[in-house]
Amino acid sequence: MDTAVAIQSLVRGYGALKVIDRLDMRVPTGSIYGLLGPSGCGKTTLLRVMLGRLAPWAGSVDVLGANPGARGAPVPGSAVGYAPQELALYNDLSIHETLLFHARLHGLGDETFAERLAWLIEFLDLPEAGSVVGRLSGGQKRRVSLAVALLHQPRLLLLDEPTVGVDPELRTRIWSHLTEVADGGSTVIITTHYIEEARRAHRVGLMRHGVLLAEDDPQTLMAERGDATLEETFLALCRREVAA
Amino acid sequence: MRPPIVATVARRKLTSLRRDRRTMAFVLLLPMLQIVLFGIAIGGDPTDLPFAVVNHDAGDELLGEPVNLGVAVTAELRASETVTVREYATVAEAVAAVEAGEAWGVLYLPQNLTTALLTLARENATAGELAAAQAVKVELRLDNSNQQIALALSRTVQQAFADVSGTQTPLDTTQPIYGENDPAFIDFLAPGIITLVCFVFSMLLTTMSFVNERYDGTLDRVFAAGVRPAEVVLGHLLAMSTLLVGQVVVLLAVAFWGFAIPLEGSLVLVFALGLLMGLGAMALGLLISSRARSEFQAMQIALPVFFPVLLISGVLWPVQAIPGWLQWVSWLLPTTWAAEAFRSIMIRGWSVAEVWPAFAVNAAWTALFLTLAVRSLRTRE
Repeated sequence: MDTAVAIQSLVRGYGALKVIDRLDMRVPTGSIYGLLGPSGCGKTTLLRVMLGRLAPWAGSVDVLGANPGARGAPVPGSAVGYAPQELALYNDLSIHETLLFHARLHGLGDETFAERLAWLIEFLDLPEAGSVVGRLSGGQKRRVSLAVALLHQPRLLLLDEPTVGVDPELRTRIWSHLTEVADGGSTVIITTHYIEEARRAHRVGLMRHGVLLAEDDPQTLMAERGDATLEETFLALCRREVAA
Repeated sequence: MRPPIVATVARRKLTSLRRDRRTMAFVLLLPMLQIVLFGIAIGGDPTDLPFAVVNHDAGDELLGEPVNLGVAVTAELRASETVTVREYATVAEAVAAVEAGEAWGVLYLPQNLTTALLTLARENATAGELAAAQAVKVELRLDNSNQQIALALSRTVQQAFADVSGTQTPLDTTQPIYGENDPAFIDFLAPGIITLVCFVFSMLLTTMSFVNERYDGTLDRVFAAGVRPAEVVLGHLLAMSTLLVGQVVVLLAVAFWGFAIPLEGSLVLVFALGLLMGLGAMALGLLISSRARSEFQAMQIALPVFFPVLLISGVLWPVQAIPGWLQWVSWLLPTTWAAEAFRSIMIRGWSVAEVWPAFAVNAAWTALFLTLAVRSLRTRE
């Protein structure tokens, strides 16, 4: 299986509004896929479709070899690690309790959990495990949210804006880790506002108004137009879309 | 359905609830405050009602002793806690006092009251004397703007006459089959209020605490981990039912010890019915919050549930007083059955053999609410 996520002619919206309109997308297994685009372009809706939370209105969606949400499909389930944009943490719980809850949902053994907990706290530079999540700073909460997604070492990571409010040094470390994860055969789909950081992705999709304007290796995309930054490329593609 | 996952969801929810002081207070202290206020303010007898008495009775003699019925009745009324007697010289003055809002009623005791009553009791009275005696009337004119106060005054005056004249009717009501000789309204009310408070607070608790999880993304995350709606619903119900146990204990403790509500039947049975009804209310709360599009909308749906429970479940007033075309709706509500059964257990001392329909109706509603909640809480939208 060399394709982790394959989407064809996807249409999905809310009420009368189409948020995603005939979108095609392909994410190779073992790659980092950077999904870029302004807020409101449909990134989160797209992730929710991949998670099986939203059913497509039209088109086909294949995630890890099955239609997400279908009976027996690996997604939703322990095959996926999801960090939503809105953090989605229980403010009354401590970091330890939060991660323990998710470890139990995924059936992690005590020993594995202890190892993962220690590693995640160290790696993501989290405060001590007893700290209550509600009293953490915004950046710390985002790292706890990321820790939840990474905890059970899933085959597919869906990370919605995981690096907002995270300092550049840690951001670099997170990207390095994602690269390792991908090298190990897992697939990472990450949305971000920081277009430049997506240069480290194997493949990027530039999303606007519910479709991908372009989807390719970032170096190739930039080289095609001779741009020095991915930002310029994105801007140019947007202008072209407006003109068309 | 995977029990370990249900247990995990329940344990997580319980930890959150335990840390959430405001919710704990909402569930445990507010219901207690409600039932205390109800017990203190509703159903008691009015006291110290200003009452105008105009006593013109001249009195008479019986077996050589002077008697004056007017004076005796007035003294009896003075001794009563219900009224504060104010004597006036004329009926016109007394009526003016009531019209000015200074008294709740006027009792006029006419000049030949004692004589007339003695005449009526005499064996040798002539037809003319009897006719004249029967024409003598004690007048009670009340401010009927407040029914309960008017009833209390009327009852007090009748009691005063009965005590003074020593009249015995052949009607003996001193041996009730169920309940006390002089039943207090609070004894009727308390089972209803326990029903109301337990139902409404259980429902509001789950409505509020679950709708948040739908909108802060945490539920999405749980679904992404492959947890099924039934596991989420049961886990939440399990966690919140521990609060329910606390709530029912507090309510019953206040009712039985605080207000000395009689308990003829089994405390365990009362407790079990409270739990079952509360579970149904929690399931309803989960259903509401699984449908609502926002916290505000959830409250909009949940709050109106309060009124049918209060008004047509026989909580404040007997269901039998509701017209037939609406009464059948009352008997569809789980709360009507619960309130009725609480009363039967507490006052009649009935056991499961008699009150099982209340358990059946509440269990059926709970099952229905849970099924609907699970169905409307789809992982896929």
